[in-house]
Amino acid sequence: MEEILYSLAFTLVKVLVVFLVALGVGAYLTWFERKLAGHIQNRLGPNVVGPFGLLQPLADALKLATKESIIPRGADKPVYYMAVIMALVPSILLLALIPWGPPFRLGDTYVKPIISDVNIALLLAFAFGSLSVYGTIFSGWASNSKYAFIGSLRKAAVVIAYEVVLGFSVLGVVLLAGTLSTVGIVEAQVQRGVWFIVYQPVAFFLYLYCMLAESGRVPFDIQEAEAELVTGYNVEYGGLKFGAFPLAEWYINVIALSAIAVVLFLGGWSGPPILGPLSPYFWFILKTFGLVFFTIWLHWTLPRFQAKDITEIAWKILLPIAILNVIVTAFFVYFF
Amino acid sequence: MEYVALGVALIVALLIALGQTFVNDIIGYRKRDPLEDYPYECGVPLYDKSARGTFKQGYYLLGLLLILFDIEAAYLFPWAVVFKEIGIYGLIEVIVFVGILALGFIYAWRKGALNWEM
Repeated sequence: MEEILYSLAFTLVKVLVVFLVALGVGAYLTWFERKLAGHIQNRLGPNVVGPFGLLQPLADALKLATKESIIPRGADKPVYYMAVIMALVPSILLLALIPWGPPFRLGDTYVKPIISDVNIALLLAFAFGSLSVYGTIFSGWASNSKYAFIGSLRKAAVVIAYEVVLGFSVLGVVLLAGTLSTVGIVEAQVQRGVWFIVYQPVAFFLYLYCMLAESGRVPFDIQEAEAELVTGYNVEYGGLKFGAFPLAEWYINVIALSAIAVVLFLGGWSGPPILGPLSPYFWFILKTFGLVFFTIWLHWTLPRFQAKDITEIAWKILLPIAILNVIVTAFFVYFF
Repeated sequence: MEYVALGVALIVALLIALGQTFVNDIIGYRKRDPLEDYPYECGVPLYDKSARGTFKQGYYLLGLLLILFDIEAAYLFPWAVVFKEIGIYGLIEVIVFVGILALGFIYAWRKGALNWEM
């Protein structure tokens, strides 16, 4: 009994640490993104609140938290509130499946730096990824605004197209590793001494496309489309209810999907031990942050596709490539 | 135990989300204004009272195809996990399976189901 309570408390500590750190990093990514966007567009970005504008996210959060709660006329109230929860919960839960480092011994307990090391982690990750779409759809439907409604329908089109490609693109990695567990996939790469991006370069690029589409980043951000839909599905939200959508979609989701990309293709925590026992965490976070930076960089340099082009690229180009990739990988695994 | 951990994570995530959802109702500024809840319509009076009208979405057939291909991907996941154990049998099986679905895919493509309907 005492053992169960002890491990439950330990799990709770792990959960709180990972989630709160990720939310904090997510909030600070707003500062990073605005600063980066500023420098890309040859301006300064936030620089008034605190040194280098570093207190800007705190000021924004304070402002959002003290705003009046306004619900648009004719809105579907329960769905309107539920949309925020449906957007946040699945993207936060994605973080529970990410192995931040290798298992190690602490005294006489065996510590795994992952919240939930289930053997179907990859399936769960895609399930959560699909579920977070409900946040967008609900918010568009409940807001009683045409801009929000059109934005959410466009998001549905994007997800319909890229969910399939995402499923096929990771099959190659699963074939090579022979497991769906995130820890197992990283260990398979550490054992071989080769990252799976070497065997699966095509799948990696397909995954990158799908990652951008799932998290609503440029060039697939037609559900936001500031210029035509005034940020689309969340236009009728205010205060922290509004803040939840970019936080979930643009930051937490991007962090989690980048971390999963690192697990699948970039060798997870593997890397030269330059920081002693902390180096696995350092490498994992460095690789993840590299992908996050790449996403934000694309966001501020590329134009966006039309809705029509987005679905047709996925179905007519990416899906045949993904299916071929799976078959070729199966041959490769069988004969070599 | 790992699934219990997932449950704990779910509860914490729900609490965070509930906090974000209701913080404005609890500590927010309160001053009613007759037009504050007016849906956004670029400043002009609302044309329709409800925004949930009929809408031409253009990807109905893609939605149907999604069901087909997503289920295919779901079937291939367990196959991919045990592929090394089932060997040549699994290889031939999956070529037949994917071949049939590829025929359906080509059929849908030729029929124009993959085009966005304007």
